[in-house]
Amino acid sequence: MTETAPAPANDTGHKMSAKNVNVFYGSTQAIRDVSIDIDMDHVTAFIGPSGCGKSTFLRTLNRMNDTVASARVEGDIRLDGEDIYSPSMDVVQLRARVGMVFQKPNPFPKSIYENVAYGPRIHGLAASKADMDGIVERSLKRAGLWEEVKDRLSDSGTALSGGQQQRLCIARAIAVDPEVILMDEPCSALDPIATAKIEELIHELRGRYAIVIVTHNMQQAARVSQRTAFFHLGTLVEYGVTDDIFTNPRQERTKDYITGRYG
Amino acid sequence: MNKRLASSDRAPTDWKAEAMQKRIRRRYAAERRFKLMGLAAVVLSAAFLAFLLATMAANGARGFMRTEVALEFDFPALALPVDRAQLSTPGADLALAGAELENVVKGAASAAYPGPVPLISDNGWLTVRDAIKADPGILGRKERIWIPASPEIQLALRGEGDPAVVTGASKLEGLGAIRTGFNRDFLTASNSTDPMVAGIWGALKGSLLTMAITFLIAFPVGVLSAIYLEEYATRNRWTDLIEVSINNLAAVPSIIFGLLGLAVFLGTWEMFGHQFGPLLPRSAAVVGGLTLALMIMPVIVIASRNAIKAVPPSIRDAALGIGASRVQVVFHHVLPLAMPGILTGTIIGMARALGETAPLLLIGMRAFVVQPPQGFTDPATVLPVQIFLWSDEVSRVFVEKTSAAIIVLLVFLLAMNGLAIYLRNRFETRW
Repeated sequence: MTETAPAPANDTGHKMSAKNVNVFYGSTQAIRDVSIDIDMDHVTAFIGPSGCGKSTFLRTLNRMNDTVASARVEGDIRLDGEDIYSPSMDVVQLRARVGMVFQKPNPFPKSIYENVAYGPRIHGLAASKADMDGIVERSLKRAGLWEEVKDRLSDSGTALSGGQQQRLCIARAIAVDPEVILMDEPCSALDPIATAKIEELIHELRGRYAIVIVTHNMQQAARVSQRTAFFHLGTLVEYGVTDDIFTNPRQERTKDYITGRYG
Repeated sequence: MNKRLASSDRAPTDWKAEAMQKRIRRRYAAERRFKLMGLAAVVLSAAFLAFLLATMAANGARGFMRTEVALEFDFPALALPVDRAQLSTPGADLALAGAELENVVKGAASAAYPGPVPLISDNGWLTVRDAIKADPGILGRKERIWIPASPEIQLALRGEGDPAVVTGASKLEGLGAIRTGFNRDFLTASNSTDPMVAGIWGALKGSLLTMAITFLIAFPVGVLSAIYLEEYATRNRWTDLIEVSINNLAAVPSIIFGLLGLAVFLGTWEMFGHQFGPLLPRSAAVVGGLTLALMIMPVIVIASRNAIKAVPPSIRDAALGIGASRVQVVFHHVLPLAMPGILTGTIIGMARALGETAPLLLIGMRAFVVQPPQGFTDPATVLPVQIFLWSDEVSRVFVEKTSAAIIVLLVFLLAMNGLAIYLRNRFETRW
């Protein structure tokens, strides 16, 4: 099932590695025995038809599934070799190190500045007001939003357009200096121009963070990612270099999906 | 396949046919009927409200007015046996007691108006006493003092009651010795057996003290319970049971809460609790406030839970996603967004508590209280109970005061509802 993983799963060398992960919602199994490695400097795309478990799996990587009472995760997921489900792992710190961008832009109904400053503030990352200003500016610049909002940082974040809101959410995620950024269909609520901007941004961010992006848009996966994982019915069907997956899939199911036979 | 054939066999729908037209007419008629019914309902309730307000205003306006008569006192000639040096000390009342001031004043009143009814009210002589206390200098000169008239005189001025009294009263009016004006005592005095000097300040203060206790207990406990139930508790049989219990408590008649308050705060506490703390007094604002807090807590919990539930989950995800803890999510994001709803529910609950009578009767807040309460443990009564007590009185003047007190209560209720609307708009976040 995981024979296509690009490298043997040992803990050293990979930013994150998941081994034999099963996720249950109550008695239904949403993820079956998934093993995958995620590396720095790469964008990893999860593709697959709706309900195949790609978002569920993404949410296990920063333990957002903890908020679902019926969810149960089995298996071994490591960040820099450290088991993220071990009792010694602080979930609050984990989520700062593994940031997340959601499907629907969800800025806080506060000012643009506050949106970005909130994370650094609760983690105590800024020593002074000037320090915080610097973090906010740097984050907004990296998210490609600074030029558009620098004169109205006190405006409400919810007054921005959809694409700007999503970039604000990305700025908010990178403000706490994460190592991995998880993006759950970040462009599905955006128009093509805003989507193009986000994709451009993902390219620019690639060098600093390990990025995992869930998408139902195969062209997008082909455009932005270096590695692609194809999920189907809760299993990882194929995982490999994006070009190989799209031009020369080894599995019949992958081929059927990317040629539009189902999905 | 067969089905399809069958449907294509049917004749095309004739939208102009008589039956179709009739159906359309019937539909429009139903629409008009429904609109009329709605309009009638609104008009009916508006009429009832207007009737209530008009009656209250008509009766209550008189409750705010009082008739006073002027009496001339030649203090040097009366030569009251009063030690003037004591008048500026706390012993003033005692010093004046020896002067038999009540008889002096009443004698002067019956000299001015030797009619079949008293001229001044039973407690009218207290006005003279207070005047002397305020300015002992008047004992050395002639002084004209305005004293509350008796209820009979007040009514006679409006042409009600014994015709002989009516003519007597209008004669006095002609002399300029009688006047009717705004009764400031009504807002500053407390209850009294004499309707001419009775006021609502004591009851109002009792209400404010009771509300303060109610708010201080019910708001934090209610909101924290709601937060726990919505954000922390896992759904299981126990939380379901708690939810059903809270919903049922919100529907329990208020008098039952009065019995509960009586049994717990007074009965049980007296038997077992007082070894751990001070004994809770009867008829006091603290016990009334605790009882009403029990009563409105379910309302606050339900309103707060709904407000918290209405906060979009995406905001929680956003905060959790950058590493906020559960408490930070609640206090930084969920609670501020839910605040307008929580405050609205709380103020509506407080308004309900402010208008509540039955539970307070049971814990003894129907006592006759002449002194305004000085603290939470002093005997007190509250506005609705005061209204209830006055409505039992025979005197016409008390009947008018009842309406006036109702107006004061309604003004407070309207102010609270207005505050609820203001706070909701003020804190509402627009997306």
